[in-house]
Amino acid sequence: MTTPLLSVTDLAVQFVTPDGTTTGLDGVSLEIGQGEIVGVVGETGCGKTLTGLSVLGLLPPTARVARGSIRLDGRELLGIPERELRSIRGSSVGMVFQNPASAFNPVFSIGWQMRAVLGAHERLAKGEAEQRIRETLADVGLVEADRILRAYPHQLSGGMLQRAMIASALLCRPRLLIADEPTTALDVTIEAQVLRLIRRLQQDRGFSVLFITHDLGVIRAVSDRVVVLYAGRVAETAPTATLFAAPEHPYTRGLMAAVPRAGSRGRGALASIPGSVPADVGQVSGCAFAERCPIAVDRCQTERPDLRPVGAGHVAACHLAGTGVAA
Amino acid sequence: MTRFIVRRLAGSAAVLLGLSVITFALARLVPSNPAAIYIGPKARPEDIARITEQLGLDRPLPVQYLAYMRAMLTGDWGTSIGTKRPVLEEILARLPATLELIAAAMLIAIPTGILLGILSASWRRRPPDLVVRVISIVGVSLPAFWLGLLLQVLFFRTLHLLPLTGRVDPNLRFSFPIADITGFYLLDSAITGNWTAFVDVTWHLVLPAITLAAYPIGLIARMTRASMIEALGQDYVRAARAAGLSERLITWRLTLKNALIPVTTVVGLTLAYSLTGTFFVEVVYNWPGLGTFAVKGLLNLDYPAVMGITLFGAMGYVLINLVVDLVQSWLDPRTRLA
Amino acid sequence: MAVEVIQAMPAVPRAGLLRRFRRAVVRDPLALTGVVIIVLLLVGAIAGPWIAPYPEQGAGQSNVPARMLPPSPAHPFGTDGLGRDMLSRVIMGARPAVAVSLLVVGLAMLIGVPLGALAGYRRGRVDAVIMRITDLFLAFPPLLLAMSIVAALGPGLDHAALALAISWWPWYARLARGTATSLRERSFVEAARSMGVSDLVILRRHIVPNSLPPILVQATIDIGTVILAAGSLAFLGLGSTPPTPDWGLMVADGRTFILDQWWLSAFPGLAIFISVLGFNLVGDLLLDLLDPRGTR
Repeated sequence: MTTPLLSVTDLAVQFVTPDGTTTGLDGVSLEIGQGEIVGVVGETGCGKTLTGLSVLGLLPPTARVARGSIRLDGRELLGIPERELRSIRGSSVGMVFQNPASAFNPVFSIGWQMRAVLGAHERLAKGEAEQRIRETLADVGLVEADRILRAYPHQLSGGMLQRAMIASALLCRPRLLIADEPTTALDVTIEAQVLRLIRRLQQDRGFSVLFITHDLGVIRAVSDRVVVLYAGRVAETAPTATLFAAPEHPYTRGLMAAVPRAGSRGRGALASIPGSVPADVGQVSGCAFAERCPIAVDRCQTERPDLRPVGAGHVAACHLAGTGVAA
Repeated sequence: MTRFIVRRLAGSAAVLLGLSVITFALARLVPSNPAAIYIGPKARPEDIARITEQLGLDRPLPVQYLAYMRAMLTGDWGTSIGTKRPVLEEILARLPATLELIAAAMLIAIPTGILLGILSASWRRRPPDLVVRVISIVGVSLPAFWLGLLLQVLFFRTLHLLPLTGRVDPNLRFSFPIADITGFYLLDSAITGNWTAFVDVTWHLVLPAITLAAYPIGLIARMTRASMIEALGQDYVRAARAAGLSERLITWRLTLKNALIPVTTVVGLTLAYSLTGTFFVEVVYNWPGLGTFAVKGLLNLDYPAVMGITLFGAMGYVLINLVVDLVQSWLDPRTRLA
Repeated sequence: MAVEVIQAMPAVPRAGLLRRFRRAVVRDPLALTGVVIIVLLLVGAIAGPWIAPYPEQGAGQSNVPARMLPPSPAHPFGTDGLGRDMLSRVIMGARPAVAVSLLVVGLAMLIGVPLGALAGYRRGRVDAVIMRITDLFLAFPPLLLAMSIVAALGPGLDHAALALAISWWPWYARLARGTATSLRERSFVEAARSMGVSDLVILRRHIVPNSLPPILVQATIDIGTVILAAGSLAFLGLGSTPPTPDWGLMVADGRTFILDQWWLSAFPGLAIFISVLGFNLVGDLLLDLLDPRGTR
């Protein structure tokens, strides 16, 4: 078995403020293989963005890693000097953010910003650098390279800006692309285009993708495997098809039931998961979902469930997983 | 671009018109008799009557105003009651001294303020930040006239390092006279190679310039700090870090430009401040500029002088705002007027 | 019935600004210093005649045999040209300084806030007219208008106060207009309007009270700024007249002797500086609390 490209083990992140310490991630583990697209899904606040930021050491100043390990190609990333992290960012690992308009500096041209990224990592002659930038722009479907490079962010549409951001992230041919809600701020039609673009680029260039989103539909369309996060912990991990066909974790089932389906109009009330996410999961000794779980038993309140295997490549953090108890 | 400038100047003309009305009304509010002041203490009633008629002070106010405005537009800004010379001539004669002072002060204040602000933002919540915050809050709280006096005591009386007052050593007028080319002593002495005078003039500029620069330094440092902190918190900084750009590049190239946009407004404000701040500094240092002329005019109820200075100052203010807007549009492509 | 309910509805709570202020002050040494300064200033203003060692001299009575004495245990701030104890003079100078500032800021708010709120709420013609007028006043370089007014009216603390108030009200009008403009879109205002509540009542009950936090913060800072402005005017001879213990006037008086009898100008000027500093320090903290983005 080949070494996974990215290996996150028992990652825990805490927020330290004058008012106290809260837990953002409570022991998250996941793996991304070479050339694999792994989707991380969960509701707002579940820690999926934190996971992505942790890989590149971009946590906000109030956050710190409490424990865990992040390995890129076997190399430990936590605790390495900033200088080495910087050489990885943008070159071995590229990142794309949610709001393309705010990810670009409004007072510099797109071309200036892309050249800056390239210049930070590779010593290319001016001509070669220009060529690389134009090739990458063409790859993401931006044909009017001249206009785009000269333009300022406010002069381009959301879809074009997102493509430009993807181009920026791919300039130095990274092995891993972290995409943090890249389509959330886009129209549905543009969203479809960008998702198709990411899949195509991934096939052409062979990089792996850590795809973070709250949208189950997007996850289904783009990922090979899915990691479901709840309140800073992994709830379930499975290949995409398996997850959608037979989810084992009550939370996953609840998520899928809560998605309004076209055609279900008027038939029954909108399903939703009662209750709310625990404020600080670090304080919860049992299962984080126990309060809201329809099939919870006493054991769930006191003992935190491990990720137990329930099928091929399929694990779920539930004491009742695989026992056939319906949710 | 030119259309924008023309439109702005036209709008400002309306404001200046309104200002002239206000200033004119104020001048006429003077309880005492301007004609009597014009002549002096030994005025006899017949003289007062004659001068009143001569100066047109007996005609109805709106007529006086119109006459005054017509005169001003043709360059006749009246005659100073105190110096008996045309007001415009007085203003233009003293302008270089004041401009040189303000320029020196700004040349000190702007780079210092900006650098302090960047330092403070980059080392946020650590000692350099606290030091800069103290410096800037002290700067904006210091009364300029008090600071000037203290500096005089310290550097002239105690340390014997710097001159007390004036633009230049009066003795130099005989030994190394400064040619009268532009009225800016630094330029004039440099152009003619008069290095003795150049050094002396610089020495004389130091204290007044620092005194005038105190408030601007404080204000600019505060604004730069706040602006940098905000810029550094923006999403594009996180994206830039994610792309592997170095902190040095991010601070000095990437966010500085963004941060400087609000700073230009503040620089405009400090320039406006120095329009009247110079009054106090000039008084303390006996600087022969517009400030001393204005203060003397105010105290002696020399209304033509006061009106002239006010309108001149207001025009300067308009010009400053225009330049600030132009610089901002150059920095921020989103507000470009092309 | 519904109308009464809307009219009785309390204005949106000001997020306990005072409470947050109290908590934050204790943590910030700079702001704490500011509060201490302001308290000392107020104590001096209120109880000056009882604290000053030589209150009659503070008020102006001369004691010529003791003139120009340098600072000493008997006279910590020295004595002035007429032999008056400088410490007493400075302490008793707090009252005119604070009185003028409160008067100026109060007047400026009284004139500016209603006008600004009206302009921001009504928009259209009313807004345009009021804004043109404020633009006119704000087109004067700072203090120049006040100087001209005092020059025209003659020196005196009351003239200076009037002049400063006339110069200051446009800022409050601008501020009030800004808050009124954003408030008029809020749902409780729309609700009141739809209930037929009159504009005047809406302004009085909803718009103005909710505009107060930023305005009061500005007013606090301005008290310091006005002390400085009034002192500056007095320095030029455009403020109080002797024998009033006015700090600016004292600095001006001492200027002739500055090189050898430095204490004549140093201490009154120091009083101005410290007062302004105190208000600026407190004002900084208040601005921090108001700023939702935590950029400070």
